[in-house]
Amino acid sequence: MDKRLAKELPNFRPNKTPVKKTVKEVIYHIVGVILSLIFLFPIVYMLATSTKSETAYAESVGTLKMFLPDFANMSTAFANYKSVLLDYDIWKYALNSFIYAAIVIVLNVLINGLAGYVMAKLRFPGKGLLSFLIIFLIVVPVETSIIPLYSIVKIMLGLKQQMSVVGVILPAAISIFNVFLFTQFFQNIPKEYEEAARIDGANTLDIFTKVIMPLSKPIIATVAVFCFIGVWNDYLWPSMILPSADDGTWPLLPIQTALITIKSIEGITTGEIMASLVITSIPIFVIYVAAQKYIVQGFGTAGLKM
Amino acid sequence: MLKTSLIILVLFIIAFGGFVVYDLATAKKRKVVYRFKSSLTAYLMLLPAVILAFVFIMLPILYSLGYAFTDYYLLRPNNINIVYFQNFKDFFEELSTKGTLYNAIKNTITFVVGVVPLQIGLALLLALFVNRAGIGSKIFKVCFFAPVVISLSVTAFLWEQILAPGPNGLLNSILGIFNVPPRDWLRDPKTAMPCIIVLSAWQGCGYQMLIFLSGLSNIRKDLYEAAALDGANWWRKFWLVTWVGLRSTFVYILITVFIGACRILTQPMLMTGYMDHTVTLSYYMYNKGYTERWVGYSSAVALLMTIFIGGITFIQRRIFREKK
Amino acid sequence: MKKLLVSILSIMLVCVMAFGFTACGDNPGGGDTPGGTPPAVDAEGNTIVKIMFHVDKSSTEGQAYQKRLNAFNAAYKDRNIKAQGVFKARSAGASGYETELLNNQLEGTLADIITFDAPNTAAYAKSGLLYDISGLIPASEQEKFYSLNKYNGGLYGLPIQESSAGFFYNKKIFRNAGIDVSAFTAENPWNFAQFKDVCSRLKSFGKIPVDMRIDATKDETAPYLLYPFIYAAGGEFTSTDGYTATGYYNSSATVKGFQFIKDLISAGYTSYAIGPTDFFTEKVGMYLSSGWTIPDLDNKYRDNFASRDDWGLLPYPKDVVAASATGSWSYAITNNHHTDKTAIVELLNWMTSAESSKAITDATGMIPARKDVVTNYAVGSPEYTLLKQLEVSGRERPVTVAYPTFSLTFNQVIAGLGTNEVSSLLNSATNTLQAEMDRLKKLN
Repeated sequence: MDKRLAKELPNFRPNKTPVKKTVKEVIYHIVGVILSLIFLFPIVYMLATSTKSETAYAESVGTLKMFLPDFANMSTAFANYKSVLLDYDIWKYALNSFIYAAIVIVLNVLINGLAGYVMAKLRFPGKGLLSFLIIFLIVVPVETSIIPLYSIVKIMLGLKQQMSVVGVILPAAISIFNVFLFTQFFQNIPKEYEEAARIDGANTLDIFTKVIMPLSKPIIATVAVFCFIGVWNDYLWPSMILPSADDGTWPLLPIQTALITIKSIEGITTGEIMASLVITSIPIFVIYVAAQKYIVQGFGTAGLKM
Repeated sequence: MLKTSLIILVLFIIAFGGFVVYDLATAKKRKVVYRFKSSLTAYLMLLPAVILAFVFIMLPILYSLGYAFTDYYLLRPNNINIVYFQNFKDFFEELSTKGTLYNAIKNTITFVVGVVPLQIGLALLLALFVNRAGIGSKIFKVCFFAPVVISLSVTAFLWEQILAPGPNGLLNSILGIFNVPPRDWLRDPKTAMPCIIVLSAWQGCGYQMLIFLSGLSNIRKDLYEAAALDGANWWRKFWLVTWVGLRSTFVYILITVFIGACRILTQPMLMTGYMDHTVTLSYYMYNKGYTERWVGYSSAVALLMTIFIGGITFIQRRIFREKK
Repeated sequence: MKKLLVSILSIMLVCVMAFGFTACGDNPGGGDTPGGTPPAVDAEGNTIVKIMFHVDKSSTEGQAYQKRLNAFNAAYKDRNIKAQGVFKARSAGASGYETELLNNQLEGTLADIITFDAPNTAAYAKSGLLYDISGLIPASEQEKFYSLNKYNGGLYGLPIQESSAGFFYNKKIFRNAGIDVSAFTAENPWNFAQFKDVCSRLKSFGKIPVDMRIDATKDETAPYLLYPFIYAAGGEFTSTDGYTATGYYNSSATVKGFQFIKDLISAGYTSYAIGPTDFFTEKVGMYLSSGWTIPDLDNKYRDNFASRDDWGLLPYPKDVVAASATGSWSYAITNNHHTDKTAIVELLNWMTSAESSKAITDATGMIPARKDVVTNYAVGSPEYTLLKQLEVSGRERPVTVAYPTFSLTFNQVIAGLGTNEVSSLLNSATNTLQAEMDRLKKLN
């Protein structure tokens, strides 16, 4: 019956048979699983090692057993996780990181969002210099600037002891790259929204908080996730400027510095180290999975142009 | 330090003021109208970002670039003298000896040339692979992103085990099945850099995959249908619709991956240490500044690198800029 | 238009930078003037002595320091001296602790006593960070230490504790292969030929003979473990003043020392392919490592090493002379101290006393820095071997301001041994090190 149709529409091709489609689906998923394993093996390794005793671990290194858990001895797995969670107070440091991340996210979105909005939507003299500086600051290598940054925070601003928390949060609250992201995103929001609000008598700040921000959930989510990952994974800077943990008081250090301290504890096993790594990776994954859809949307609407 | 910073601040304000005056003076010629109130609002809204960026980003960068003209030795913070262009002279002298610096530049170029196409290509393939409906592709998307968030020290250790020398190394034992003789992947100058390129592309491509995905989501579906009606095969569909639609995303990714690749540091540091066949320019700079304590010289290298990367980025933007 | 914009901006930036660095030189704190600041005194009239440690306070080692400080404060209450500990973990990477140190110096708030890693002695002393304490510590007291942090004739530090290394060996494998090493003790070590002989017998027994850690060339591990071989062969790395490498680092005796390691690789006695855990899983007969492997073997690998009957420790082999690894962190008085040094010296003496030395090494499992600390190590035990070896043949790493460069080139030589000639490797290493020394010499 399709022959007649095919004659009339030379490019029409009948739908593939359902069997062929299923085969294609199966192949797709097999390829997908293999690819996923290639990208997942560090996590598989972390999970597998976190179940092992030191001897079992030593025997597995360099062989494919590295990626298989020690099924014979599941009690070791529990012991590893238990000792990490109970003996090393890891939750206190995790809570610190959550608090820092929350503050940094709020500040980062507000400060960089405002700047991005101005750069995208407002006209003012001197804008050319700022646009140039944004690209310039994205390009320069920052590796050597950590020494002067340390001096600025410690000597010039005099942020010491408990106050040095400010020195962790404020430098993380500004990100030129996020200003750039916000600018790109806001440029693609149609003018009509603002104009409608302006007719209703809203001022610029109102427009930003009541019109622009609600439209910007995807980019806010994107910035929030990358802020979170940044704060959660940072250790060099916080450990340089925060005071070391004291007896009896609540520590100020974030989670990654705790991980490093744990690694250097005498007698700790590789299994326990991996257990602590697994525990600290969970929040990142949860947040990333939850926000993934928004990230794609956020980058998509921004339409990223250099 | 406070005094110096204030001087820089004043200069910055003067520079900015100069631009404001210039903009205002040429406003008529450019047919632009500035409104006082709107401009004031803009400045006020920019203020928090500008203050923070000035203190925590600009100042440190300017200081570290300024150190390029001094003999700052890490252990003598009280005794810094201006040596003008001595560090740059040393840089070119060092370069002419064809020593570590020469290798660092050579390796960095090898790395950039290798990793930029590989990482972008991988990211694009992965993006095309997961760009469809269904729970499977959603899970794959998460998996491909995993290396981006896992601590690099864990992945570096694992790759070291995989690339371990001798017949019992993981990769060697797999290749041994096909009668390929074992290699010392990371110590052999021929294979070390390619290994680091593959590792870096594998580690980073998940992030660019996400950006490509967002680019793909912007391409209208009816364009594919139109192409299908014209009898286009998948290749022509990709070339005429997907590639054209991804152009600006591609330029963005090209520039960011390029900048990132020029600054490669952690991977060789964790995988091989400071060896002539894998040292990169960033690693050289880091090592000169921190390990060997020549902050001044290291800053000079940073300054030259900035000029170089900036220049190339500028050319890239010129070449790929969309014609309006 | 745009071009004009960019060029104006560049000129501005250059101006900003120019002013930036002219003013960089201004010096906010008078950190380098000794005796400038009056002694810190608290509300109760106590003289405060500040001491800075490189470890986290909550770590085992940090706790041990704090306990000694508390004991000091109790003992010196009547004399109105109070010690105050500052803890800054160096886990923040190479630069963390040092950056803190230097910024404190810049601010003029550097602690009176600091801890520092022994190879930094020359660089710190030359930069005026440390105070020469040779006049404050009597010679009779100095003699009690296994090693001292000397540079250019001055004494700049006293070790907190000592470390040494040796060859851990699997006694089960040695028994089964019929190899008897009981004659080789720290007082009477084996020689290079005997070492090779044991290796060849282990090899014919079907085991990898020895893990020389030649793959550990990313950090200080390989330099720390392997430098004694060069001294043993009669080689040197630098001149005594630390400013000449040519003629030392590439001398024929030095070549001989590295050649010994290369021979082990060529003969298949060791290789880069030995995994980090192969000794613990009984694939390797001997394992070159520092004293910190002792607790690991005692506790972590019970399945393979049930007791000390299953493993032991052999000293470094000797050739022309005997040499073994030493060096750890030390205490130093900084140049930022008060006019009145008495209180500071009291604290330094307290922290380096036999009692403190014992308390700290009990916590860390390392070797005491002082000869008069009473130890109860059984003769022939791993700890005894390390201690005796230190006494008989301990020799520190080269004292030179260019130590970081030495360490880097040493790693490059070791990594290259597998495929390159020793002399060509050493010539290029010597050139690099000599160039760095010349550069440092100019810095005054």
